[in-house]
Amino acid sequence: MADEIVVLIKTDADVVQARQRARALAEPLRFSSSELTLIATAISEVARNIVSYAGHGEIRLRLTQKGSRRGILVIAKDDGPGIPDIQRALEDGYSTSRGLGLGLPGSRRLMDEFELVSSVGKGTQVTMVKWAR
Amino acid sequence: MPQDDGQKATSGTLRPFTEGMEISQQELQERKQFLEIADEDVKRLTAINDLARRYADSVIEDFYTHLLSFDQTRAFFNDPQVLQRVKNMQKEYFLRLTQGNYDIAYSQNRLKIGAIHEHIGLPIKSYLGMYNFYLRAVAARLTEAYQKDPKQAWAAFLSLMKLTFLDMGLAIDTYIYSRERTIRDQQEAIQELPTPVLPLREGLLIVPIIGLIDSHRARQLTEQLLTSIRANRAKVVVIDITGVQSLDSKVANHMVQTVEAARLMGAQVIVAGVSPEIAQTMVTLGIDLGRVATVGDLQSGIERAEQLLGYTVTRHRVGAAAKS
Amino acid sequence: MRAPILKQGRILIASVQGSMTDADLLQLRDELVASVRRHRSTGVIIDVTQLDVMDSYAARMLRGIAQMIKLLGAESIIVGIQPDVAFAMVQLGLTLQDTTTALDLEEGLTLLQSNEEQQGPANG
Repeated sequence: MADEIVVLIKTDADVVQARQRARALAEPLRFSSSELTLIATAISEVARNIVSYAGHGEIRLRLTQKGSRRGILVIAKDDGPGIPDIQRALEDGYSTSRGLGLGLPGSRRLMDEFELVSSVGKGTQVTMVKWAR
Repeated sequence: MPQDDGQKATSGTLRPFTEGMEISQQELQERKQFLEIADEDVKRLTAINDLARRYADSVIEDFYTHLLSFDQTRAFFNDPQVLQRVKNMQKEYFLRLTQGNYDIAYSQNRLKIGAIHEHIGLPIKSYLGMYNFYLRAVAARLTEAYQKDPKQAWAAFLSLMKLTFLDMGLAIDTYIYSRERTIRDQQEAIQELPTPVLPLREGLLIVPIIGLIDSHRARQLTEQLLTSIRANRAKVVVIDITGVQSLDSKVANHMVQTVEAARLMGAQVIVAGVSPEIAQTMVTLGIDLGRVATVGDLQSGIERAEQLLGYTVTRHRVGAAAKS
Repeated sequence: MRAPILKQGRILIASVQGSMTDADLLQLRDELVASVRRHRSTGVIIDVTQLDVMDSYAARMLRGIAQMIKLLGAESIIVGIQPDVAFAMVQLGLTLQDTTTALDLEEGLTLLQSNEEQQGPANG
């Protein structure tokens, strides 16, 4: 497997960088163009969160494999304030203007696997995977 | 066993005949119990193995002479190499009947042979006809060999009959299994068919939804529709759900998403063919189709769409040349 | 990077570039507002054909711009949302409610013109 790509996230320009690099990384896998957009959008959401709530963090991108399936693994990590109410943050309302505006339930819908770890005062880590057909 | 002519190509992949077809220990036990195959039967059968060996070749020869005398079955054995191969196979099969040890391996072997015959297209009536022949051939030899003890001949014959019924059950299973697999493959193929997105008039698309619709298909449909909207510069889309039996909340949500996505691309959606049952379901599920017009039948849907697009359809007097 | 704002009669056309930063978008918004006022525009077309991703932040920005333009008395139409982007948006629950959308620039212009015709000649 290729190495890990790390994109430091501090400004909105970094958000764009993260999703562009993710697209490039995921391209050789058998993702449809629609799926590539889903991946880029999910990354945009979590990267935005880092910029808006933590100030800075990183997005790690890696190709991954499970059996014969290949996919892209995304880890969004920050040492920000953390999320006090994870339950609520993941509530599946339909609009991101409801809920906590963190766009997390949305990102989860876009990806195949989604894991959120957060603790107040320590930081947040979102891990997502999308598998190619 | 020849590999080249023995495998069916299904959508580009070769699959072994009995893939997925297996018999469990329990199932085999139950069948034996049902047919009342007991240890005595096994003993009687192994006792006539020597006899079987002596007559195997002539039984097989007679059998194929019989087969080749009928047009229907001769067709399968035109190639002399194939004929020799199957004769060898049959001899083995015949001898196996009296070798005892009627276990899982035995059953799997029978399933495999049944599958091969099904695969070459031999009708089941012909395949079953084979057993008919064997039983009579062996009956004749047994009567001859046990002239002094007809009761033993009869007992041996009955044991053989029980076993052949076990074999026939397995053979029929392979035929059924194959049919079911074909049906399954076809159903999958139908599921994979893209839903047609039909340009009806300039700016108008019709999407007829037929059959079962699950999350996967719904997603596929949405992607297709959105691409079509761009390609056809559609301003109105009529989704016809006349052919949809029921709607669960997941699929209903997909529909709402489709409507919203179409709107983002500047197209309006009319859902036509909403049956009373589906209307009820939508109300129960609390689906807010606020921005979606729904109509009861496709014709109304198209008329509404045409109105939106500014078309007026006029019909000339009956008898006039032009048709609307 | 500055996005040019084109003027076509009483209509303004702004294209959003894919690589625009937040600052660029804010600048676009401010320029649009100024232009609408200066030219007394009746309609604004915001073309997002170049956007390969629309996340919740971008959607909020767009809605904000559209609303501001409306408050200034002009109509705004968002055009050019690509199929993949539209699909991702609805998955995220971004519906751009209260905005008018059209397929592309051509459709947007047609829509604005037909609306103007319906409303009769502009006042002032």
